[in-house]
Amino acid sequence: MSEGTEDGEDRPAVVTRGLGKSFGDVVAVRDLNLEIGRGVMYGLIGPNGSGKTTIIRILSGLLSASTGEAWLLGERVPARANRPRIGYMPQEMAIYTDLTVHENIDLFGEMYSIPAEERAEREDSLLAMIGLKERRDSLVSNLSGGMKHRVSLACALVHDPELVFLDEPTVGVDPELRKGFWDYFANLKARGKTVVLTTHYMDEAVRCDAVGMMRLGRMIAEGAPMELIESTESATLEDAFIAKAREESA
Amino acid sequence: MNVRRMMGVARKTLRSLRHDRRTAGFLVFMPLFMIAIFGYTFGGDLKDVDVVIVNLDAGGENGSMSAMIIEELSSGETLRLTVLEGAGAVDGEQLVRDADAWAAIVFASDFTARADAAVDAMRAGTTAYPGVLSVYLDGTNPNIAQAVLTEIATTMQRVLLAQYGLMPPIAVSGEMIYGEDAEFIDFFAPGVMGLAAMMVTFMLSIISFVHERTTGTLDRLLTTPATEGEIVGGYAAALGLVALVQSVVILVTAVLLFDVEVEGSILLVLATILLLGIGSQGLGFLLSSIAKTEFQAVQFMPIILFPSILLAGVFWPIEAVPELLRPVSYFIPLTYAVEACRSVMIRGWDLGDVWPQLLVLAAFAAAMLILSAYSLKRRR
Ligand SMILES: Nc1ncnc2c1ncn2[C@@H]1O[C@H](COP(=O)(O)OP(=O)(O)O)[C@@H](O)[C@H]1O
Ligand SMILES: [Mg+2]
Repeated sequence: MSEGTEDGEDRPAVVTRGLGKSFGDVVAVRDLNLEIGRGVMYGLIGPNGSGKTTIIRILSGLLSASTGEAWLLGERVPARANRPRIGYMPQEMAIYTDLTVHENIDLFGEMYSIPAEERAEREDSLLAMIGLKERRDSLVSNLSGGMKHRVSLACALVHDPELVFLDEPTVGVDPELRKGFWDYFANLKARGKTVVLTTHYMDEAVRCDAVGMMRLGRMIAEGAPMELIESTESATLEDAFIAKAREESA
Repeated sequence: MNVRRMMGVARKTLRSLRHDRRTAGFLVFMPLFMIAIFGYTFGGDLKDVDVVIVNLDAGGENGSMSAMIIEELSSGETLRLTVLEGAGAVDGEQLVRDADAWAAIVFASDFTARADAAVDAMRAGTTAYPGVLSVYLDGTNPNIAQAVLTEIATTMQRVLLAQYGLMPPIAVSGEMIYGEDAEFIDFFAPGVMGLAAMMVTFMLSIISFVHERTTGTLDRLLTTPATEGEIVGGYAAALGLVALVQSVVILVTAVLLFDVEVEGSILLVLATILLLGIGSQGLGFLLSSIAKTEFQAVQFMPIILFPSILLAGVFWPIEAVPELLRPVSYFIPLTYAVEACRSVMIRGWDLGDVWPQLLVLAAFAAAMLILSAYSLKRRR
């Protein structure tokens, strides 16, 4: 794997080699070897504390890895040069509650140096997508939890990134809206974007092209959801996870 | 450094202040309140200080000297006199003890007689035991005690000169180089200005950044192309502006309400405040990485503010700070800001005179900005 920022189309969106992270005695992630191709919707699934957020934060350049290395779109992490092409939605809400919906989206648009006119257009279409057109000028602190979540998603997508990390994007989102979210992720994928998301609601991850099952910082299985379900003769992805976890413990 | 992104961060910071009406109001009214309170408490000349005079003086052949002094004293505005005549009228000392008066002046019964004798002796070139005037003072407020004593001393000199043509053997010729019409408020208005700028920028910065850290927005900003320097610079620009607005509020209030005079350049004063504000917000930023919650952030405030209020020469000069603590004063950036503002406002000094202070403040601001940006760069 060569370093460099030029974007060979052949380069995978995400590559990690022996990636690991410890916090003192706690090993949050160990020996992770990932390869996520372009235009793929990839799900990191596993229970709380299994290391999903830690992986996303290392890839986003917010945490340094204890071991191993990683590349995004061909650039070694922390991939500064590729930042304009990468989006990140943190697990926490991470939006300014003392600003309006518009001001939040506009701020992040500005951080990506999107020209004002284009920024307004992007904002319009994102507001339509998250169904908050009427709340454009509401303070975020006056919105419901689900609405805040949608604003957070919009902020991550304001620059139409090629690669987007979504950490638990559907937590606290009501079922009806959750389906809308997944439709939107599928739409991103259809437009050639790479989507890497995490979820501890394992069953909803069947809509991913591939999932990696995380348990105690280790990836215990990886593959297409249906294959994982069939190979373990399970009914759901969650059952498949349990079967794989048993296999590993044995 | 992308200026547009930096301004984007600055705009966002100001926008959130705009939405938070209470905080925005606080930012404007706090300095107004501070200067008004301090101004009315310490400001202006003392007036109508209650003083009781117990006059037991029997007088002399050329009239009563105590009466002349009393008349002269009552012509001024500083003291409000209550004169009690006659032997055994009241115990003056007790009046002060009971806090019915700030001071009691007691003329002994032989006051004029002895004074006349002393004057005669002086003319003859010999000496005589002078008349006794006892002053009982309530020292609870040193300002008042000092003012009463000064008033009495100068009045006596005037009476001696007018009535007896006597001059003290040594004449002191005093000439005010700076601050001819300066009152106490002129002295501390620059101090309050610096203090307010420092307090508010520090407070806003530490609380905003603790908030940014705990909610994850700071992390999120860091994943965008915005650099650490742009984020830190954007905040510095926004909070520096807040400090400027505050200083203008204080200056306008001080000038309109208390007739404070600004001898030097107002721009130089504002530049000083800007540097102090930027440095203080940087300090707030750095300490925000130690504080885990907003509550912990609030705990930093007294640690930073008390030494500044007490040791930086805001209300009394550095020279009044105990020598043991004085080195600490020189480590407090506010010291330099207050010194510079005061010199410009009262002495009318310009950049050529106050550049050392400005240099220290610029170094402080630069160091804080660089350290802040660096601390953001370090990933865990
Ligand atoms: N900053 C941190 N300090 C110490 N331990 C941490 C930190 N962040 C995460 N951990 C630990 O690392 C493990 C993985 O956490 P995380 O990546 O958040 O899991 P997930 O996102 O799958 O719920 C957990 O045991 C968690 O307690
Ligand atoms: Mg997580």
